[in-house]
Amino acid sequence: MTALIKLENVTKHYGNFQALKDVNLDVEEGEVVCVIGPSGSGKSTMIRCINLLEQYDNTGIITVDGIQVQKGKNLKNVRAEVGMVFQNFNLFPHLSILKNVMLAPMRIRGISKEDAKKRALELLNKVGIGEQADKFPAQLSGGQQQRVAIARALAMEPKVLLFDEPTSALDPEMVGEVLEVIQALAHSGVTMIVVTHEMGFARQVANRVIFMDEGQIVEQGSPSDIFDNPQEIRTQNFLKAVLNH
Amino acid sequence: MKYCRSFLSLILIAIPALFWSFSVHGQSSDPIKVGANIGNVPWEFQDTNGDYVGFEIELVNEIGKRLGREVDIMNVPFNGLFAATQSGRIDMAISSIAITETRLQSASFAQPYYDSDQSLTVRVGNGISSLEDLRGQIIAVDTGATGDMWATENQEKYGFSEIRRYEGLAPAMLDLTIGRIQGYISDIPAMQYYAKDKPGLQVAERIKTGGSYSIMMGKNTPLSTQVNDVISTLKQEGFINALHEKWFGAPAEATTSTVKVVDMPGVRDGLILNFVETFLNTQVFLDTYPMLIMGLMTTIQLGVLSIFSGLVLGLILALARLYASPAVKFVVKAYIDIFRSIPLLVLLIVIFYALPFVGLSLSPFYAAATALTVVSGAYTAEIFRAGIEAIPKGQFEASEALGLGYRHMMSDIILPQAIKIVIPPLTNNCINVIKDTALASVVAMPDLLKQATQAQAVAANPTPLIAAAVIYVIFLLPLVLWVSRLENKFKVGDR
Repeated sequence: MTALIKLENVTKHYGNFQALKDVNLDVEEGEVVCVIGPSGSGKSTMIRCINLLEQYDNTGIITVDGIQVQKGKNLKNVRAEVGMVFQNFNLFPHLSILKNVMLAPMRIRGISKEDAKKRALELLNKVGIGEQADKFPAQLSGGQQQRVAIARALAMEPKVLLFDEPTSALDPEMVGEVLEVIQALAHSGVTMIVVTHEMGFARQVANRVIFMDEGQIVEQGSPSDIFDNPQEIRTQNFLKAVLNH
Repeated sequence: MKYCRSFLSLILIAIPALFWSFSVHGQSSDPIKVGANIGNVPWEFQDTNGDYVGFEIELVNEIGKRLGREVDIMNVPFNGLFAATQSGRIDMAISSIAITETRLQSASFAQPYYDSDQSLTVRVGNGISSLEDLRGQIIAVDTGATGDMWATENQEKYGFSEIRRYEGLAPAMLDLTIGRIQGYISDIPAMQYYAKDKPGLQVAERIKTGGSYSIMMGKNTPLSTQVNDVISTLKQEGFINALHEKWFGAPAEATTSTVKVVDMPGVRDGLILNFVETFLNTQVFLDTYPMLIMGLMTTIQLGVLSIFSGLVLGLILALARLYASPAVKFVVKAYIDIFRSIPLLVLLIVIFYALPFVGLSLSPFYAAATALTVVSGAYTAEIFRAGIEAIPKGQFEASEALGLGYRHMMSDIILPQAIKIVIPPLTNNCINVIKDTALASVVAMPDLLKQATQAQAVAANPTPLIAAAVIYVIFLLPLVLWVSRLENKFKVGDR
């Protein structure tokens, strides 16, 4: 059985700067993968290649559920199967919370307004902000907005969810409420790749932890492998720096 | 060209006039300031050296000499002569101005020196040889001139389908040659002189209106009687008839006012020429009000059509400029840059007068709408582009990540947000388009300003121009206020 997400020899150049160096990665269905590493190590770039927000060099191949991720007719289908949650939420400010969640299923899945609304309210309740459905994004706190963004991604019933540093833009007191939602999702069996700086969270929810540095996957393994018994010197230095501060 | 030329000229005439009317003028040692509609052959025009020449130019120079004063001739459009004379901006006006009852209410005329009729000029070989042939046809006149008044009175009698009003001979002749108009009604001497060396044109019929021309001056000014006396002398000396012979090729008949000394036309009662009576005359306003409203309707139709099609065109151009292939981007950028720098007036003239030569003859309305749309589209394209580029990148990424296609991304996410950003600059553009509709008068469109210009020439009083300015303000102000409200309403969603 092939992996749900497969990266083969993926590289990415920005001009002369190489952001990704020959990355290979398989993610199985139902797996929760946390990606850690210093800033600028290529973590975000890697997951942004998976739904082609970044165009990777044509020497590599990425497939999602067996479909190659590339420009063209299939791209919309791939993206519909890959949900993404951004650091800065990127909610649509001119639409109510409810409509933020309803929009994509109606436009892409073609489901009726009634069904979309019903489903959106379910999801908003699930992330704990059903009562705020008629408000606009700017009326909510950062933590609430990020939970809406998660509901919006879930509304498409994607096969995989990508989280790009979902708590980095939040005030510290709001980090917990967002991590709780993601944790609950992880336990429900959704396939996820989470780029994060929250080591405690990674240790708790991940099936597998990946450490990246300088555009490469340096080391990967179970949370206890990586956090308790890192093999590579770069991993050890990184963990020493983040865990001791 | 965002500032409307006609507005500007209105202000240029009206504002200094205000101050002039309070200043001392007409000192007998000062040069005599003469306003003339240069280009009105053979009365006053420029020769190949650029010097002013013509029947009336020679006449006023001689009058100046006899009065011992210098003569300073300035080029004033026909329609500006009335306000300029009444305000004292000029001391006398020449331009084969017919003496009429209405004009005598607000100005003095010296005794006439030329008896004229109107004439019908047609294109040779288009089957029209008399006024009777013009039923159902489009004719042309000069705005506010005697021909205009005659044609307006006789439109029903002869069944002209439309009277187009031009600013001067040249554009009307161009349209007659193209075949856009079938006849041109104007002063017979000018037309005989003009058609003399143009085999394609022909003065087909004399229209007996019995007008006579003279010099127009401020009402009851001392200068008017002085000039009248000099003209008597010049007639007795045969000077004026010599001018006739020089410019028309033959001496005038002995019974005409070119030869015979006649009385100075008496001024009529009515207008007291203070500021209010001159610029804010109630009676003139009531008389010309219906014309102005018709003009306003044309302005609104033209404005609304041009704004709407300009918006659609601008949006398409903006999207092409942002997202199309490099070749298309280049073409669109060139389009935008060119049409933002080309003066609208020039474009209007090209579309109206040049396109017929390649077989595309647009009516004045659609020619004006096309020019306004083409330019407005270029401006709105830039406004839309700025609006779209102001939307954060994250909005595009979030839309793409959800799998929204380009069309839905634009219509559901990007454009609704961009609209709020672009509403203020778009409003300014809309207001500019509406003001720019006034430029359509060069293609004989009866828009508000054109109607006002015509009304002020007929009434010999600038009140209709002021009224038009007030109508523009009344009409545009609610638009501005409405948009401010809309902006506030949109802000609620962002709170």
